[in-house]
Amino acid sequence: MNLWLIFWTLMLVVAGGSFAAITLVVSVRGVRDVRQWFASLSRQDPDQ
Amino acid sequence: MNFAPVDWAIVVGYLVATVAIGLIGKRYVGTVSHYLVAGRELGLYVGIATLAATEIGTITFMYNGEFGYRYGFAAFAPALISGLVMIFVGRTGFVIRRFRDLELMTVPEYFEVRYSRGLRIVTGVLVAVGGILNMGVFLRIEGQFLTIVSGIDSRHLVGVMTVILLLELVYTVLGGMVSVVITDFLQYVLLSVATILVSIYAVTFAGWDNMVSKVTTVMGDGGFSPIANPKFGITFLVWQTLLWLSLHTCWQTTAMRVFSAKSAETSKRVMTWTGFIFLGRGMLPMLWGIAALTLYGTGALQGGVPQPVVDGQTLAPIDAMPAMLADILGPGVRGVVVAGMLAATMSVNSSYLLGWSAVISQDVVMPVRQALGKGALGSRAQIFVNRIANLFVSLFLLFWGLYYKPPGAVYLYLNITGTIFLAGAFVCVVGGLYWRRSNVLGGYVAMLSGAAGAIVPFFFLRWDENVTGFAAFGLALCGLVVGSLLGRQSSAERGER
Repeated sequence: MNLWLIFWTLMLVVAGGSFAAITLVVSVRGVRDVRQWFASLSRQDPDQ
Repeated sequence: MNFAPVDWAIVVGYLVATVAIGLIGKRYVGTVSHYLVAGRELGLYVGIATLAATEIGTITFMYNGEFGYRYGFAAFAPALISGLVMIFVGRTGFVIRRFRDLELMTVPEYFEVRYSRGLRIVTGVLVAVGGILNMGVFLRIEGQFLTIVSGIDSRHLVGVMTVILLLELVYTVLGGMVSVVITDFLQYVLLSVATILVSIYAVTFAGWDNMVSKVTTVMGDGGFSPIANPKFGITFLVWQTLLWLSLHTCWQTTAMRVFSAKSAETSKRVMTWTGFIFLGRGMLPMLWGIAALTLYGTGALQGGVPQPVVDGQTLAPIDAMPAMLADILGPGVRGVVVAGMLAATMSVNSSYLLGWSAVISQDVVMPVRQALGKGALGSRAQIFVNRIANLFVSLFLLFWGLYYKPPGAVYLYLNITGTIFLAGAFVCVVGGLYWRRSNVLGGYVAMLSGAAGAIVPFFFLRWDENVTGFAAFGLALCGLVVGSLLGRQSSAERGER
């Protein structure tokens, strides 16, 4: 049981840490992505 | 009423902002490709945001919270599998790379490319039935969450469900995938902040040592080891691995993000990074469930676990986590968390509405029209059919959500309803991409036996979920192999690859 507890504690730290870190990066850099995406949608021919 | 005026202000502000931003999307919808796959122009970061937001809803928090409450730390096993499998799919490009290269809009569309139009229609029907049944329990459970946390009288549950549905319907119907992606981005940020806040609050209030001690007392080894837990075991872990492999490759709402990415390489990177988010998507709400067990698990035993008792009232295990949030969060924080959960709810539901209605319109209505000798529809007409399908799905969801209560853990109900089409679809897709001998007869037998393997044991024979899931995948695989060996390949099938 102790080994499982240690394993799950480690996994939880990895899960929580990566969740928070990716959220931060995506929140900041995603805005630029959205702008570029809108620009390319505007360039696409609606009749194609 | 648990809500302070500041909480209401935050929630109402969020709703107004979401609908307003969602309506911007309508401006950019010119073709059916814009409406369904965002013009295939999504970059990495917005791709991660939309995929994560699509698969993280209040329903996800509720069923994972319930799972943690019922099975302790052992419940982390499927969450770990879901994340690791997603990272594997992203790193290798298994199925998704070829899917993206084919420029599909729906998963069943592949069945016409590789097998036949008839099989596409059969798959479309099964995907729509399984998907809509799956989504059918969302509204009730989300409504339960919101009424418990906000303190709105439970008699208003139907009203709350209807309002949620109408708001997300407005921008989904008008702006399609473009609106869904824009709102997903906002919703992803908000729901992530809420997730992190709640995790900190839950562990602080319940206490890590108390949580470990409670799980040890109530469940013993089974609360930590997924092998020792009688509900799980090796069969469950294998089924979960197969199920998550199929979900990350063939689940319509996930696949639509793959189809929407700028390139196959972008879709692989989106999938890899979202895999890390998926670890937290499962484990963090399961942790909240364990915290709720620690704080309120004092009632009579049911299935070996004490029922939650809050203010002298016995609740269902699934309601323990929202009751805990109503108790431990202060004014302001509660508003942020509920706005985050509403964001999660709306991002999932809007994507699912679009996903299943896309299947109905593109894989059932359109191919049937063609089979009847009618001409193909133009982009505007296709968008119109999609919108009608969207409304139809919404109406069904309201009725099913009101009248159906899943037996047992909701997580397992969702797994089984997904398996109705995933078992056959996954086997057919993998067979079609990687096995030269697979053919139309094998495809039909796989789809039908996979569906029968999920529906009959679960709904009629009342078998255990993991045996049911395992049986469905096994039958689908046998069906594809036996059917393909017995049937003949058409010249088109031989030439396709």
